Amino acid sequence: MSAETVESGASAAPRKGVSILFGLTLLGLLLFLWLLLGLATNSFWTPNNISNLLRQGAMTAILAVGQTFVIITAGIDLSVGAVVGFTSVIVAWLLAAGVPLWIAIILTLAFGVLIGAFHAFGIVRMGLPPFIITLATLTSLRGIGLLITNGSTISITNEAFTNFSRADFLGVPSLFWMVIVVAIPAYVFLHLSRFGRYLFAVGSNSEAARLSGVNVHRTIYLAYILSSTCAAFVGLLLASRIGIGNATQAEGWELQAIASSVIGGTSLFGAVGSVHGPLLGAFILATINNGANLLNVNSFWQRIITGALIIVIVYFDQLRRRSAR
Amino acid sequence: MTELQEARDIRTEGLHVATRHPVPKGEPILELRALQKKYGAVEALKPASLTFLSGEIHAIVGENGAGKSTLIKLLTGVIKRTSGEVFWCGKPVQLGTPQEAIERGINAVHQEVVLCAHLTVAANMFLGDEINRNGLMRKRAMTDAAQSVLDDLGFNLPAGAVLGSLTIGQQQLVATARAAMRGTQFLIFDEPTAYLTRQESAQLFRLIRRLQAEGVTIVYISHRMEEVFELADRVSVLRDGTHVGTRRIGETNEAELIALMINRTIEQIYHKEHFPPGEVIVETRNLSGPGFQDVSLTVRAGEIVGLYGLIGAGRSEFALGLYGRHRPTSGEVYWQGRKVEIASERIAMDLGIALAPESRRDQGLCLNLPIGLNINLPVFNRLSRGLTINGQQERENADRQIRDLKIKTPSRRVLVSAMSGGNQQKIVIGKWLSHGAKLFIFDEPTVGVDVGTKAEIYRLFARLLEKGAGIVLISSYLPEVYELADRLHVFRGGRLVASHDYRAASHEEVLTQAIGV
Repeated sequence: MSAETVESGASAAPRKGVSILFGLTLLGLLLFLWLLLGLATNSFWTPNNISNLLRQGAMTAILAVGQTFVIITAGIDLSVGAVVGFTSVIVAWLLAAGVPLWIAIILTLAFGVLIGAFHAFGIVRMGLPPFIITLATLTSLRGIGLLITNGSTISITNEAFTNFSRADFLGVPSLFWMVIVVAIPAYVFLHLSRFGRYLFAVGSNSEAARLSGVNVHRTIYLAYILSSTCAAFVGLLLASRIGIGNATQAEGWELQAIASSVIGGTSLFGAVGSVHGPLLGAFILATINNGANLLNVNSFWQRIITGALIIVIVYFDQLRRRSAR
Repeated sequence: MTELQEARDIRTEGLHVATRHPVPKGEPILELRALQKKYGAVEALKPASLTFLSGEIHAIVGENGAGKSTLIKLLTGVIKRTSGEVFWCGKPVQLGTPQEAIERGINAVHQEVVLCAHLTVAANMFLGDEINRNGLMRKRAMTDAAQSVLDDLGFNLPAGAVLGSLTIGQQQLVATARAAMRGTQFLIFDEPTAYLTRQESAQLFRLIRRLQAEGVTIVYISHRMEEVFELADRVSVLRDGTHVGTRRIGETNEAELIALMINRTIEQIYHKEHFPPGEVIVETRNLSGPGFQDVSLTVRAGEIVGLYGLIGAGRSEFALGLYGRHRPTSGEVYWQGRKVEIASERIAMDLGIALAPESRRDQGLCLNLPIGLNINLPVFNRLSRGLTINGQQERENADRQIRDLKIKTPSRRVLVSAMSGGNQQKIVIGKWLSHGAKLFIFDEPTVGVDVGTKAEIYRLFARLLEKGAGIVLISSYLPEVYELADRLHVFRGGRLVASHDYRAASHEEVLTQAIGV
């Protein structure tokens, strides 16, 4: 027994070690960016700006966590941006129809569950590639949202709802608290529960997982439902923040979410990923945008810089993995 | 001369290029002097000195991890040596890149076919060396040239067929033809028969002898002793990264080679213990499903039921049907006397059926995940309390299997892809030992597994039987099922065509039934 604990303590290194090390270097990069921006600008370390930064990063971070579940199964969810826009319309519409707030929230989240279940249905039952089925909903959900609103926006008059995104709790923006509300159960789910292990197993070799008694279909349903529900949750937060429901909002956020996930060490080939990685990735992206704004960098350049950074960070991650072999 | 004729001549010339002997037959063509490879502190190949003679068939044997793959990678330029010298036709060479090796005429045919499954046979044979005219590919000319090479070799294969539609054995033949076509002087075969049927093996052997007759030097790596004795002129033995000896084939025997390989004598690899047969665990009656028809057999506690046949004879399909992977279309299954419908893998597992599937890579393991996760995969529901997994139990369970099965790894966190074939097979077995079962189905459990590990696996069978389990052993390797099975069923074309008691029929009889001549 003692030999066993010694062994597991001493040589348990390679894989987890790399993951933690990578997490630390990402955290280091984030802190380094913050330090740099603090030195380069006067306005970075102001309470206002930090709150702003945390709010900006929060929504991408939640999307990225959901996206990561899907990517670990070797899939992809291109629809999350459209789901955010669509669900912002749903909640605004429900509130405008006089539905009580809490029911509107539950119904909106239920739409997220439905959309995710539809994706999984397309993949599992119809045999469509994840890229295709989620690309299809990306387009059609925006269309349905525009139909509902007749191409315009629905404003939200419920003050309790719209005040939420501006509120602070213990000096930290409530939107950032929502990241924690999502991240802790997500961590437990992915790293401590058997369902998390099944996501990795399905992403690595779904046939082997199946022959080992893993319910592969259920696992895929779970991943896509979680991703879409996270997106619906972000739809609520966005609606609260901008006070309207508009189907064209959150354009391109799916790519932000995928980029955050990949920066956070998730492998697009599946079976590699964590919860803390995408969170750091999302806040690194948010910091770059925020810093570029403060430094008055041309927004066209911002895009170029973001693209270049994605390449650099993921390249270094690849190098690290290869040398760890 | 037509263009087509011209193209064909250019291509088929490759087959005979080896007749321009770089060195006379029997003289050293490739000489290794103190060749060494280190990965960090690990010495994968200790300084080895070996000479390959022009035109010989030189077998290399050794257990998994003995350094055979390292040696192949060094010779084919896939990895660079740490120290030592290599002489090709008497001149020192680097062999630093695969291109250099190929240019000198050194090629390898790997156990796992490394060609493009979606391209045609012809396209694969010409891959990277296509016939072009004005920048456009001459598809027709390539197909015709490839076909003439295949016909010439006596393979009955269509050059226009998509590679992926062929059996693995046929793909192996294509890979060999490809190497033969490219003016090879020195051809390395890495366990080429692991996935071949007997007929395909025979075809391959004819090709190897023919290449030898044309002056090609052959290096043949295999776990199968009888192949070594059938083919080779000389044999070298590797053990733990050390070259422990080279013998002329006429001056050695199987016992000596095995002793050299594992440094101990194996009285009998096929460890067989007989137990009194117990109650019937499972009985199938006229079971049919995708790939198998009308199979009726029983498995009792304490016995090994062997299923022998060629690849594609329906044995694995039957196993998958029994395991709930493919639903049977008709017939019945009785589990301990009770009629059951096995509609999913989970139901099979819950009844007490375990399946170590045919392909470790495709069905057995999550290669890019840690050993521990793979071992625990069938039992996570048992290791969980509420939503979360009991981390201590998870670690203990994995470590217990690693210890009991002597899986050679520093830690359960190492990725399965880093393990050798034998250790990977132990991980597959470990999964099912930790789950526990009444009926164990082992489908080709010793493919690509060294002699030592084989013996360990066979001893494990006896331990399982002793505890009252029943075993279904599926194998394309006759001696294995022949020596181990208490009852041997022969499959052909999806049907059970014959049944024999332990050692009741001769090898020839069983073979004839399997081939169906």
